[in-house]
Amino acid sequence: MNWNLRPILVAIWRSPTGALLVALQVALALAVLVNAAGIVQQRVQKVGRPNGMDTPNQFVVAVSGFTREFDYTAMLATDLAWLRGLPGVVAASVTSAVPLLDSGSSAGIRNAPGLKAGRQANIFEMDEQGLAALGVRLVAGRAFSAEEILPPAQGNQALPQILLTRALARVLFPDGDALGRQVYDPLDRPITVTGIIEHMHGNWVDWDKLDHVAIVPRVPEGPQALYLVRTRAGERDALMRRVEEHMATSDPTRLLLWVRSMSSIERRAYLADRNLAIFLTAVTAALLLVAALGIFGLATYNVAARTRQIGTRRALGARRGDIVRHFLLESSLVTTAGATAGVALALAAGYWLSVTWQLPRPGLLHLSTGVAAVWIIGLLAAWQPARRAAAVPPAVATRTV
Amino acid sequence: MLDMQGISKIYRTDLIETHALRQFSLRVEAGDFVAVTGPSGSGKTTFMNIAGLLEDFDTGRYQLDGTDVSGLSDAVRSRLRNERIGFIFQSFNLIPELDIFDNVDVPLRYRGFSRRDRAERIASALDLVGLRSRMHHLPAQLSGGQQQRAAIARALAGDPGLLLADEPTGNVDSLMARQIMDLLEEINEMGTTIVLVTHDLELARRARRNVHIVDGQVSDFWSLEPPAPGLHAGLVPAMMAPA
Repeated sequence: MNWNLRPILVAIWRSPTGALLVALQVALALAVLVNAAGIVQQRVQKVGRPNGMDTPNQFVVAVSGFTREFDYTAMLATDLAWLRGLPGVVAASVTSAVPLLDSGSSAGIRNAPGLKAGRQANIFEMDEQGLAALGVRLVAGRAFSAEEILPPAQGNQALPQILLTRALARVLFPDGDALGRQVYDPLDRPITVTGIIEHMHGNWVDWDKLDHVAIVPRVPEGPQALYLVRTRAGERDALMRRVEEHMATSDPTRLLLWVRSMSSIERRAYLADRNLAIFLTAVTAALLLVAALGIFGLATYNVAARTRQIGTRRALGARRGDIVRHFLLESSLVTTAGATAGVALALAAGYWLSVTWQLPRPGLLHLSTGVAAVWIIGLLAAWQPARRAAAVPPAVATRTV
Repeated sequence: MLDMQGISKIYRTDLIETHALRQFSLRVEAGDFVAVTGPSGSGKTTFMNIAGLLEDFDTGRYQLDGTDVSGLSDAVRSRLRNERIGFIFQSFNLIPELDIFDNVDVPLRYRGFSRRDRAERIASALDLVGLRSRMHHLPAQLSGGQQQRAAIARALAGDPGLLLADEPTGNVDSLMARQIMDLLEEINEMGTTIVLVTHDLELARRARRNVHIVDGQVSDFWSLEPPAPGLHAGLVPAMMAPA
């Protein structure tokens, strides 16, 4: 098959303005597409990463005492007993922090005495129903018993035991199993690892140690309390309403601060990432649309301006398919020129973004997929004008007007 | 070479029917040089389009070089145009972005010749019309006469049996028109059949045979010696009758 590439290239070269502008559009669209795709993919992976919990069936209640008569310990006992007695509640625990809530505490955990710095971890204080309320899976060891739960910390109280996520256990004890081993608090007091949690998230969604979590058996300090409640499937919303109503009225010495589903907390935590992904996708789609319109416009103009030429080519023996191929090839050459410039632009922009904003650089997969995408879009955009060109009758060649 | 019998062509719009050709019959033998004349709107261009397979006809029979062209697919008609017919247009119809070499190359590329074969044919055709030294000029860099010669080279490069020329001297001055006619005569003497559509009776007289069309029908037909005014010397009624 004769592709007639050279005459098409020569024709573009001799009248390059329109083709150059469209190629620039394609280059810009490709550069944005490739870099945005990397960022969007990163954000989508971040939003979609599993948190190890039973998120759809969990909610959190925040209350706070505010009068002199307020009795924190009594309130906890009453509220937890009421919550755990509700039909449909699987587990309820008081907790010092809620995963992804963007507040909580962290501490350095040492794997040997005498170390100045430890491995940073999210610290959760929870009671004996903590693991069940989180809905996380224990892969080794055991959960806390009720008798092991310490009262709220007063001064620097020693902790006898601790649960670690597997990710944290691996960095603390890279040489082997952490279960039964000892870690050390800042005062070099030993704490025994009694259980390993498969996976869970900590407090801060953007922290690179999000899955480094340690749970200690202790009631958090008041007067504010957070209850993490896990329900049976499908009963969360009804129970949230009932709990909200009860907590707002049952104890006049405290305030109900808020009740939120875990899904809502997670959604809020990823809101910026989700919005950025949507924004970048929309901008990229708009740029691709503009590039496609440019290709369509150029091809349409070329067909309209060359009606006589098309008729002449038909008269000289071009079949309809030859005419379609001619215009698709012409469009593809413009797209290819734009894509080539676009790859260079994408790499330069990717380098700048990675240096300035620590964003991921476009990989080969993104580049090749991006080039393929603009190529296909270019062909689709030129298809209709090419078909219209092929419909020009050969008799046009003999018309004098 | 070209045998049309009882060809009719009607152009239809919502309100109007225009009978461009009515029961039109004409036979052109291989090696002939026929001039087709007639007033504006007489059907000359329609005849040219149908003869060159640029348009379909409604009724009748048309054999091109022994091939009945009725009902042929677009692809086959395209191939026949490419292989058997050379076109010369009034406005030259050269592609302005391509130089003369590439313009002459256009039909050869559709034919699928090798690069080397094409280059030889282009050189030979440009030699014939005296434009080999201008092969890398753009059409706009040539005079009207040179452009028409380039178009003739394009028509001849594929070595067609039939050359259809539509007012080939319409856009050039009288001196250049004579040169182009000299060239066409030379080409005809080399064996190529030529059908020349023109309104210029002076030029038409240089053809071996003349056909005059009025209202879509052949009204006069003479050969070699043009008739005196009012006479139709050489009229061959048999050529006009349906087979």
